[in-house]
Amino acid sequence: MSSPSAARSRTGWTRWRQICQFSVALLYLAIPLVNRAGHHQVSGTLAALKIGPIELVEPAGALSAMLAGRHIAASLLIGIAPLVLLALIAGPVFCSWVCPWGLASELIDKARHRGSKYGWGANSWIAVRKLRAGSILLGFAISAVFALPLIALISPPRLLAALPIEAIALKMLPPTGVLLLALLAFELLGPRRVWCRALCPVGALTNFIRSPFTVRVAADPARCLCPSTALCYLQCHWGIDPRLAGRFDGCTNCMRCIEVCPSGAVEVTFALKANRQTRDRDRRQL
Amino acid sequence: MNGGVLGWLRNLLAPPPLRPPGAKTESEFSALCIRCDRCLEVCPYGTLRPAGFGHGASVGTPLMIPAKMPCYLCMLCPPVCPTGALERNMDKRAVRIGIARVNTEACYAHMGVLCRTCIDQCPFPYEAIGQDSELHPVVTDKCVGCGICEKTCPAPEVAIRVEPRKERL
Repeated sequence: MSSPSAARSRTGWTRWRQICQFSVALLYLAIPLVNRAGHHQVSGTLAALKIGPIELVEPAGALSAMLAGRHIAASLLIGIAPLVLLALIAGPVFCSWVCPWGLASELIDKARHRGSKYGWGANSWIAVRKLRAGSILLGFAISAVFALPLIALISPPRLLAALPIEAIALKMLPPTGVLLLALLAFELLGPRRVWCRALCPVGALTNFIRSPFTVRVAADPARCLCPSTALCYLQCHWGIDPRLAGRFDGCTNCMRCIEVCPSGAVEVTFALKANRQTRDRDRRQL
Repeated sequence: MNGGVLGWLRNLLAPPPLRPPGAKTESEFSALCIRCDRCLEVCPYGTLRPAGFGHGASVGTPLMIPAKMPCYLCMLCPPVCPTGALERNMDKRAVRIGIARVNTEACYAHMGVLCRTCIDQCPFPYEAIGQDSELHPVVTDKCVGCGICEKTCPAPEVAIRVEPRKERL
């Protein structure tokens, strides 16, 4: 059994994460208003943010545009560098800590499953593996063939952050809003969070940007006391069992499993050793 | 670089809209624009607006409708474009949004009225638009296509309109 102080140090991840998510959402609501007032120091959406001289460009949209334009732009590479670095260090935290659509999807998912048994089917992280790879390959293929940055066009974080800007410009429901409504229907009627977990090209790309040292959660089998279906899996926002999932199975480091694990077996790690273990397990699974 | 299948289809179906100042050719522009909406955001006049579904795959890209709001060439939007879909350092005189065309049947000057609103309102009077010996407005190739003339034309049926430039297609 873990001591009470250890239990306290494990809790609080969700609170910090939600503070982070809501702050980002508020920031993107505020940026168009500040620009409207004539201050242009900070401008942009989640597709591309400009803070003073610093450019931040979302990698999947930028790659899509480079493929579509058949041109490798230095400005885009410089813009995506900080975000690729963040993903290499902290993992795909964009999805669970930053993306406002991730927040919306989480809240919708929670509302949708209120009262019903909250959980996932068997091995739901394996079911989306091919979808995730397929979505990103299809996205880049369409970008290149049709000279159209499709990923930038449909990326939900971009749509949500652009909504206030386009609504101000048009003074009516912008096309962005229509695309968001379609996505909302998907979210309400489709499988649980299937967009975030599998279809979103932005999330899929960040999920594949990993190094052996990337921060991740790892379960210590020696300390795990749960049966095959455990709280960490049932309560996961992403349908991933931290004890079984591989490195590229879409964990976004939301740290929910660490919070709910009753025996403290799930921990944050950036050690090479844990990655070797999962790599060997991936090989056995395949 | 050509615009691919989609660009070819689009040019076949409908002429492209008027783009923000500094926009590259239409096929390059629609390939590079990631719809980040920064240009819309910094535009102080509300000139730039997102394209609707009528523009097909170009939905969400910035465009301008001079009759609603022309471009006042403040040049805030080119430097904020992250992808280079808009040329970053644009000289105002080098902007080629489109080119104005006078409809002689609707123009007051062609009816014998002494109207020179378009010339007075033009940011480059007697450069981009001048007068001929009969005091009719004449648009030159130096027209940047800002559309201020279209917005301010007093004729009931607007007699000067900005059209996309052929070299941008």
